[in-house]
Amino acid sequence: MFFHIVLERNMQLHPRHFGPHLRDKLVAKLMKDVEGTCSGRHGFVVAITGVDNIGKGLIRDGTGFVTFPVKYQCVVFRPFKGEILEAVVTMVNKMGFFAEAGPVQIFVSNHLIPDDMEFQAGDVPNYTTSDGSVKIQKESEVRLKIIGTRVDATEIFCIGTIKDDFLGVINDPGASS
Amino acid sequence: MTGIDQLRNLRNLRGTCCEDVAMTNEVIASLTYELGSKPQLHVVETPSRLLCATASRIVPDVVVASWGFPLAASPWHGAREPLPQTPLMASSRQVHDKPVRSWSPSTGTISQDLIVSLVKLAARAFYDDVTTKGDNQPKTGRSDNRGMAVVVLDALTRRQWVREEDLAKDLKLHSKQLRRTLRYFEEEKLVTRDHRKETAKGARIFSAAVAATGDGQSSGKDGEEKLKLHTHSYCCLDYAQIYDVVRYRLHRMRKKLKDELENRNTVQEYVCPNCNRRYTAFDALQLISPDDESFRCESCRAELVAESDKRAAEEMGDNDDNARRRRREKLKDMLQKMEVQLKPLSDLLNRVKDLPVPEFGSLQAWEARANAAGRAANGDSSANDSSRSSQGQGYGGTPMPFLGETKSRVSEFSCGVILPSSIMLQKLPLCSAIMIGGFNVEVALSGVPVKEEDSKPDVSATTMKVLPPWMIKQGMNLTMEQRGEVKQELRPESSSPANQLDDKKSKVNDKDDEKSIQASEKKHLCDEYLKAYYAALLQRQQDQEEAAKRNQQELDNISSEMPRQVGMKSKREDDDRDDGVEWEEAPTGSLGLSLVSPTGCFPKEVDSLVIVA
Repeated sequence: MFFHIVLERNMQLHPRHFGPHLRDKLVAKLMKDVEGTCSGRHGFVVAITGVDNIGKGLIRDGTGFVTFPVKYQCVVFRPFKGEILEAVVTMVNKMGFFAEAGPVQIFVSNHLIPDDMEFQAGDVPNYTTSDGSVKIQKESEVRLKIIGTRVDATEIFCIGTIKDDFLGVINDPGASS
Repeated sequence: MTGIDQLRNLRNLRGTCCEDVAMTNEVIASLTYELGSKPQLHVVETPSRLLCATASRIVPDVVVASWGFPLAASPWHGAREPLPQTPLMASSRQVHDKPVRSWSPSTGTISQDLIVSLVKLAARAFYDDVTTKGDNQPKTGRSDNRGMAVVVLDALTRRQWVREEDLAKDLKLHSKQLRRTLRYFEEEKLVTRDHRKETAKGARIFSAAVAATGDGQSSGKDGEEKLKLHTHSYCCLDYAQIYDVVRYRLHRMRKKLKDELENRNTVQEYVCPNCNRRYTAFDALQLISPDDESFRCESCRAELVAESDKRAAEEMGDNDDNARRRRREKLKDMLQKMEVQLKPLSDLLNRVKDLPVPEFGSLQAWEARANAAGRAANGDSSANDSSRSSQGQGYGGTPMPFLGETKSRVSEFSCGVILPSSIMLQKLPLCSAIMIGGFNVEVALSGVPVKEEDSKPDVSATTMKVLPPWMIKQGMNLTMEQRGEVKQELRPESSSPANQLDDKKSKVNDKDDEKSIQASEKKHLCDEYLKAYYAALLQRQQDQEEAAKRNQQELDNISSEMPRQVGMKSKREDDDRDDGVEWEEAPTGSLGLSLVSPTGCFPKEVDSLVIVA
């Protein structure tokens, strides 16, 4: 789920950036540092939408670096248990398959794949129904439900299922091509 | 054997045995014949007569004994589709439905039968112990209203749209209690409800609709208009939705149990066969080996094995193995019990799946449809009723003694009714007993006979028929009752002189008339049996006019005759009347007498004369 929240961060700026574009430099560095990172608490920071406030800088003794407390608005993405996501399959093996929904990685183990889908090893490993009408392989798009998340300080990992109503392949590149 | 042949046979047969039958007053047989479809016979009899036995053998469809309850239904009857309704089917349906005033399994198709039993099963399975009590009220033995839900649902299966006050009255429930139950069902999506503010007239429209589906009795009086608005609530089972609701309910029950049983939403665990190190699916990302995309133990690089029976329920702190096993057993047991106990229901669901579901539509739509159907079922008479009463010239408009011109029209499929004795008639709750014959009797007042005939849209294309005298009498009587005006005293004086007058002049050509009428009737019936009635519509109309004249003369004759003569005539007619029905006079009867019934026991409830095809 996406959230638009205000976060705060202490930015350390090298003294060489001190000058007329100090503020721009600060914001650029903020974006470079923060976007794409993951915190267990807030989830993945997708984008910074604005800088609310930059506090007074504090010069560090010895290094000359200046620390600015910055308040910024950003969009974060945090997966929750029970959430339905659409994801792209990245890898298929006999234990299940991995999929990505944006920054988050989701693993669907084979006992959470419908019973009528069988693993087919080979050049393109995939899960296929007995009549071959539905196929899950790399690059397939699936709709899945998150049944568990593992949140570390800097990492979120999810376990999903497609063994429920209205879940499963929503667009199969293998079938269309 | 075609239907016509059957009918002919029947007629011949009746010819032989009619004497016998004519002797009894207690036989009412109505033979209805439906054009272009299966022949149907409704025989209502009190003592079992030869005729009835034979008739039912020849035209074996439904033998009805004792006022409209089917004794035996042939496959025809069962397989009959409910729509489109031909007038006859509607009328025969009215006969059966009369007691319950609605569609009912006994008249319905198989699909109706099934869906009704589905409702009943579901009611008993899911709503048996539902109590619609406020939470704040203490549950005492007296106020325990469990089981009411089932009763209400059952009652609703016998009705279509029903006003809630009426339902409450029928069920002898307090209307508040009923409303609470119905509101619960509305939330459960079993029942659709409609509330509207309406005047007394609006309520009557609904009553008319009910009557049309029920007993075909139409109350066409628009007399007094109360402008006070009352909010009336109506309710009706939504069969299509009930099917979905029940199915979904079963699905949810099953899914919940199964999910829990299979621990479906749990995290897979993996174990290393070498070092017995355990991993969960959360570690999957680290376990993947870069070379062959399989899961490998981090310490010994052995390939991991999925541990199928291990549940992540342990995570939830439920580490007691025994407890978990017990829980599993219980779930499995529950699932099994559910499957067994709800098997009838799910079987029924499967059977109903592809069948059409009765659909009543919204209240307004249903009302309109029911009224229309009722009109069609009644032939054109009820349509006339309304138009007439609106014009203020209905046959009840001026209470007429028995001297009006009587036009009797017997529709092509109707055959006739043996007149019951007046005592018999008493037993009829409503006058629809006469309707079983599929008759359309119209009594035109002497003042406006032609006009009415002309203004009539000849929708049902009925043919002209000579009507037995008793019909007319009854009609008159009924009309007056309907109007609520007691004019019976008038009848004896006024009718007899008029009849005698008529008698004198018409007696001469009585015989000729008789024959010609019979001939023309025969011809007509045959025509109709062979063709669709619309083809012969125009011609028939002309004939009707002719026959009407003859009929009147004849009737006048008969009416003034002594009972002996009446009996003779009825026999004569029987011999070649196409409809295969006996006309029978009450033995004591001069016309006026037999129906007015000296004892004054004519049914009070009879309030409609509209006797219909």
